[in-house]
Amino acid sequence: MDAEETIISKEDLERLLDVDKLKYCNECGICTASCAIAELLEEDYNPRRLLEKIFLNPNNVLASDELWLCAWCYSCYRHCPQALKLPEIFLFMRKSATEHGLMQPLEKALKKIVENVPLPLVTTFVCFHPDRAGLEMEKISEKIERMREEYLKKEKRKRTVKTSGEKIAIIGSGPAGLTVAYESSRKGYGVTIFEALSEPGGMLGKCIPKYRLPKHVLTKEIEFIKNLGVEIRTSVKVGKDLDFKDLWKKGYKAIFVGTGVHKSQKLKIEGRDLKDVVHALDFLWKVNSDKKTEVGRNVVVIGGGNVAIDAAETAIRLGAEEVTILYRRSKEEMPANPWEIKEAEHEGVKIEFLVAPKKILEDNGNVYAVECVRMQLSELDETGRRKPIPIVGSEFIRETDMIILAIGEAPDLEFLPKEIELNENGTIWVNPITMETSLRGVFAGGDVVTGPATVIEAIRDGKRVAESVENYLKSLAG
Amino acid sequence: MPERIRHAPLGNKKVKQPNAEVHIITDQCKGCGFCIKFCPKKVLEESQEINARGVHPPKILDESKCIICSFCTAVCPDFAIFVVEKPCKEERHIKHD
Amino acid sequence: MSEKQESKPQNGGEEIRIGVYVCHCGLNIAGSVDCDEVAKFAATLPNVVLAKDNRYTCSDQGQEIMKSDIREQKLNRVVVASCSPRLHESTFRKACEEAGLNKYLFEMANIREHCSWVHLHDREAATEKAKDLVKMAVAKVALLQPAEEVEVPINRKTLVIGGGVAGIQASLDLADTGYKVYLVEKEPSIGGMMARIDKTFPTMDCSICILAPKMSDVLHHPNIELLTNSEVVEVKGYVGNFQAKVLKKPRYVTKDCSACNDCTEVCPIIAPNEFDVGLDIRHAIYTPFAQAVPSTYTIDMNLCLNKDNVIVCDKCIKACERQAINFEMKPENVELEIGTIIVAIGADVFDPSVLPNYGYGRHTNVITSLEFERLINAGGPSGGHLIRPSDMQVPKRVAFVQCVGSRTDRNGRLYCSNVCCMNTIKDSLLIKEHWPETEIYVFYVDIRAHGKGFEDLYKRARKEGVKFIRGLPAKILEDKKTHNLWLIGENTLQKELYKMNVDMAVLSIGLEPRRNSEIVQRLLTLSRTQDGFFMEAHPKLRPVDAATGGMFFAGCAEAPKDIKDSVTQASAAAARAGILMAKGKVTVEAITPISYPEKCKACGLCTKVCPYNAITLDKELQQIKIVEAACGGCGTCAAECPFGALTQSHFTDEQILAQIDAVTEYDSEKKIVAFCCNWCAYAGADFAGVNRMQYPPNVRIIRTMCSGRVAPKFVERAFARGASVVLVAGCHPGDCHYINANNHTKDRVERLWKKMEQSGLDKERLQLLWASAAEGERFASKIREIQTIIKRVTPEEIHKAKRVFEKALEGV
Repeated sequence: MDAEETIISKEDLERLLDVDKLKYCNECGICTASCAIAELLEEDYNPRRLLEKIFLNPNNVLASDELWLCAWCYSCYRHCPQALKLPEIFLFMRKSATEHGLMQPLEKALKKIVENVPLPLVTTFVCFHPDRAGLEMEKISEKIERMREEYLKKEKRKRTVKTSGEKIAIIGSGPAGLTVAYESSRKGYGVTIFEALSEPGGMLGKCIPKYRLPKHVLTKEIEFIKNLGVEIRTSVKVGKDLDFKDLWKKGYKAIFVGTGVHKSQKLKIEGRDLKDVVHALDFLWKVNSDKKTEVGRNVVVIGGGNVAIDAAETAIRLGAEEVTILYRRSKEEMPANPWEIKEAEHEGVKIEFLVAPKKILEDNGNVYAVECVRMQLSELDETGRRKPIPIVGSEFIRETDMIILAIGEAPDLEFLPKEIELNENGTIWVNPITMETSLRGVFAGGDVVTGPATVIEAIRDGKRVAESVENYLKSLAG
Repeated sequence: MPERIRHAPLGNKKVKQPNAEVHIITDQCKGCGFCIKFCPKKVLEESQEINARGVHPPKILDESKCIICSFCTAVCPDFAIFVVEKPCKEERHIKHD
Repeated sequence: MSEKQESKPQNGGEEIRIGVYVCHCGLNIAGSVDCDEVAKFAATLPNVVLAKDNRYTCSDQGQEIMKSDIREQKLNRVVVASCSPRLHESTFRKACEEAGLNKYLFEMANIREHCSWVHLHDREAATEKAKDLVKMAVAKVALLQPAEEVEVPINRKTLVIGGGVAGIQASLDLADTGYKVYLVEKEPSIGGMMARIDKTFPTMDCSICILAPKMSDVLHHPNIELLTNSEVVEVKGYVGNFQAKVLKKPRYVTKDCSACNDCTEVCPIIAPNEFDVGLDIRHAIYTPFAQAVPSTYTIDMNLCLNKDNVIVCDKCIKACERQAINFEMKPENVELEIGTIIVAIGADVFDPSVLPNYGYGRHTNVITSLEFERLINAGGPSGGHLIRPSDMQVPKRVAFVQCVGSRTDRNGRLYCSNVCCMNTIKDSLLIKEHWPETEIYVFYVDIRAHGKGFEDLYKRARKEGVKFIRGLPAKILEDKKTHNLWLIGENTLQKELYKMNVDMAVLSIGLEPRRNSEIVQRLLTLSRTQDGFFMEAHPKLRPVDAATGGMFFAGCAEAPKDIKDSVTQASAAAARAGILMAKGKVTVEAITPISYPEKCKACGLCTKVCPYNAITLDKELQQIKIVEAACGGCGTCAAECPFGALTQSHFTDEQILAQIDAVTEYDSEKKIVAFCCNWCAYAGADFAGVNRMQYPPNVRIIRTMCSGRVAPKFVERAFARGASVVLVAGCHPGDCHYINANNHTKDRVERLWKKMEQSGLDKERLQLLWASAAEGERFASKIREIQTIIKRVTPEEIHKAKRVFEKALEGV
């Protein structure tokens, strides 16, 4: 590309940065340190450096593969002291690159993804999103498959497997578990995944809507991992069918807990047990397992996370005439991915901020409305968000015939041995560096440690675990 | 000072805290409840027991909270309650609420 | 306006001779306004006998030209079109006086802050606007009347609010000069933040050792009256003549206290000592620290068992040999008469518990820099031993994290807090001094070592082996077993991620405005910047003066600063207050009301709206009486009078109507007529100019002292003359510089809205804006926003409004 050509103007950049508010990057590095991809790809990706390159000469960046490596988790934005929306700045650049046919960098990026990111197909669909820059996903996924075959061939030739034979047990087949399985089996360990459900994939299969992640993509990915020699035992629930003692007895030298968060939190209001009130995870699961799902005409979703957004969008796609998300804080505090909020609004989902439900109203067991109260934000609390408090006397009635609750999920960890310490919020405590729990030889990662988070963060955890499991097993061997 | 306090006091400071022994002469009590009402640290509460005078005398809720102000003794019309200070066994660490 | 209109004799036959000076201000104005054209245009205006443009009108040379013109050309009115009158009106008024012209016959057109700087890229429109602004000034100046200012004596006493190092220094300087000082401190002891710090940078002096003698001087100075445990609750009056009410809370311990500490030993109540940020304890009867001034102990009634005069626990009373404890003390209201006020309320520190990723409050070994100061202080809870809270052991590896709560848009403050870099460097050296083996890591973004001796200290820290790592941790994680901490971040110079294991992390927290500064702001009718600190009259030339006369700032109340700068500013504030008081008298602007008794119906409306009770109604005589000395000069009485029996001197109805007429002479359907109050909205528009915030050029600002001066007839007149939109802009409710005069603005605008609605007019055409002096962007975005209204206003709508309000066209 001609370096003299100006594709990105100074005005574009200033608008993206919101320089009216004097927002500039202070180069503190917090974005990079909180970025999952920066950890997975090490030298190859650094969001801060990429942003700096954009400031220096945006037109040069169009030819850089780094542009295509952002995984849209918004972790950088959530941590950035200046609240810069890096993913959106990068998207603008990606779009310009696409418009000008600068596709070579994408090829390079895909290669890096294939070589360094486990589950490259899944992550391309749910994380990297080249489609947002106007590209066709089917073509790209074909490309990835080809690249992966080549890469494996090359790697096989190079690799001299030092099979030490040790066996690793993985509980849960979500992205974290699959990553540990993928990485460990490539390191030469024997891996068995225990999955409580009949289908592997965890949240990927259960709750990520099909319009985000087509079923065949996930199937391909799991087939690929099985082909590496990983055994996946479905419909086996650890704690019921077998316990930790059995696993040690069977000769597993290390155990990874990646069971995710599946327990929907309960809303403490009247009427929550009515039949028209469903939990978002159950709703999404039902839809994903192709069961006929009735959806109301006028649906209310309560919550502000990614699950709430997915449930609302799914409800619209199932034919609901009106879908409204009620969230008790303001847009700023919403934990859902900002881009996905934007997309949902585009699809017709309405979001009402600073509203909390107070009581679900029924008539003969059928929900007809929800009584809500308006909230106002007071001072910042320990989560760094402004605390919502109800405005006395601001109650109002909102009509609805179906309520989907998405007010957060927690892990269900009754099967764990007592020695494993938990955090105050019910997640597993791990050594932040080794991901080892307080019980030796047991590791954990993914949502079960972090609470609800993104796929890419679970994969990052998985890769960390695989490395420290290797160190651990080596140390056992002496 | 406007700062919100986030840390407990450092544990190397030991503070002599009063070590009280509250004595209630149950049968002398006529159940007026003054001691319960006026105790600044809410050490006492009414018991279920019925004494010789046919009333509910006070009972001790949490002796460790008593700071030996002896106000109960002062307000008791029947000289039915008094507090003595036990020798301090050890200096206790203190904690904020 | 091609033809020169004839000058008509006015004002009792005197011929009006106006001189207009259009200033280039270098290229500040000439860069986007054709000054030559504006001057040529000015020459065609009625009564203008000469119009000139020059490079710098405010220069000596420029003033000389003006003065000689006044003398030689017999000018009796002068207009200068240059910068904001808030900057140079006094300069030019003085020049007029020197040339023998009454200074009230001068008017300014603000073609810099309100024109050239905000329309940098549209020379044509900016030039047109400048012409309009000059035309308005010429129209007004022709109607101005000479006036004499009243002189009022100044009370030679000062109230200093806040007893930190700034308040102490200002009090001592003024007291030494010979003025009486009242120093009010809300805590039981003076000393403020400096008393809590261990050492000062860059000299490493012991903080309390250098402060304590000054504190003691304050106590013993014959000219200083120290009021601790006290708060200012009311301030009335004006420069030179303030009346303040101070609430003095009881200590319950008399001056007989010898600070022997017998009482605290028996007090059974234990609570965290706030002075040590809770790292140590205190009793209900206590003194916050050993060097407290006054040394008299105090009883915290929120904790003491003895409430409502019932003595439940008498241990302290029995223990006090000198019988200094008195539970019958009552709160006192002290009334003070003062001439000047120094605001030295200081700053608060940022509370990092709102940053969840740093875990402050959850991880035991994450502490703030203020807590560190108490830890390392010999008089602090650990006796000066560096220990970490979890196990009381000396930490071997300590991390400092910079910019916590500073330079951030997320749960923090946008500005740099000024002191944290050097404070950390000092702290790191303190550790190295006693525990040289300690590994110290400083995680920073920029090290700002800008002051005298700062760079040397920074280099010394590097020499001692303190490791500086560029890049802030994204999170701090705790190892639950050892309570050690993991700092995870990017070393942005090496471009690699780090995972640093340390025993203790110190968050270098920033400074923020006092949580109660809003109350102080309202109490004293001050302005604050967007950051929340108090705003000075001019950032460069009057950095310690408040916009309100007779008030000055010292220390962190104005912006975060270190001890040296606080002391410097305190001395400056003392000097500024001293200058005022040395003069002994102050002139009050001649902007008081003028009454026309023949029109007065003695309805008493004016007496009700006057914020100063300066107008009284004599029912028997059926007339009003104006007390000029009490008048604040807002003009809301004149706006309220339905009979035209009152007007405000220098802002008369005729003068303001003439300005409106000048604006609406041409293209009125495209213009916004804006009325802006001098203190907030006009200053806010100035601020927009200084910051070069660009907005559409179709607004014409008419300055009034208060938005309460804007009479409904002004708005009606603008609409009757075909204005598209009228904007009334003033201070935020509660921030009014005339107590509450802008409440009436709101009422009047609401009445007009109702009237417009009833007449079928688009009430959006009348806009009301509250904007403070720091809210330039708010003003600018309002003007941008109004453009959509202008676009939808049809010629029919304009015409309809003209008809509805045609009565307003009648003469005055």
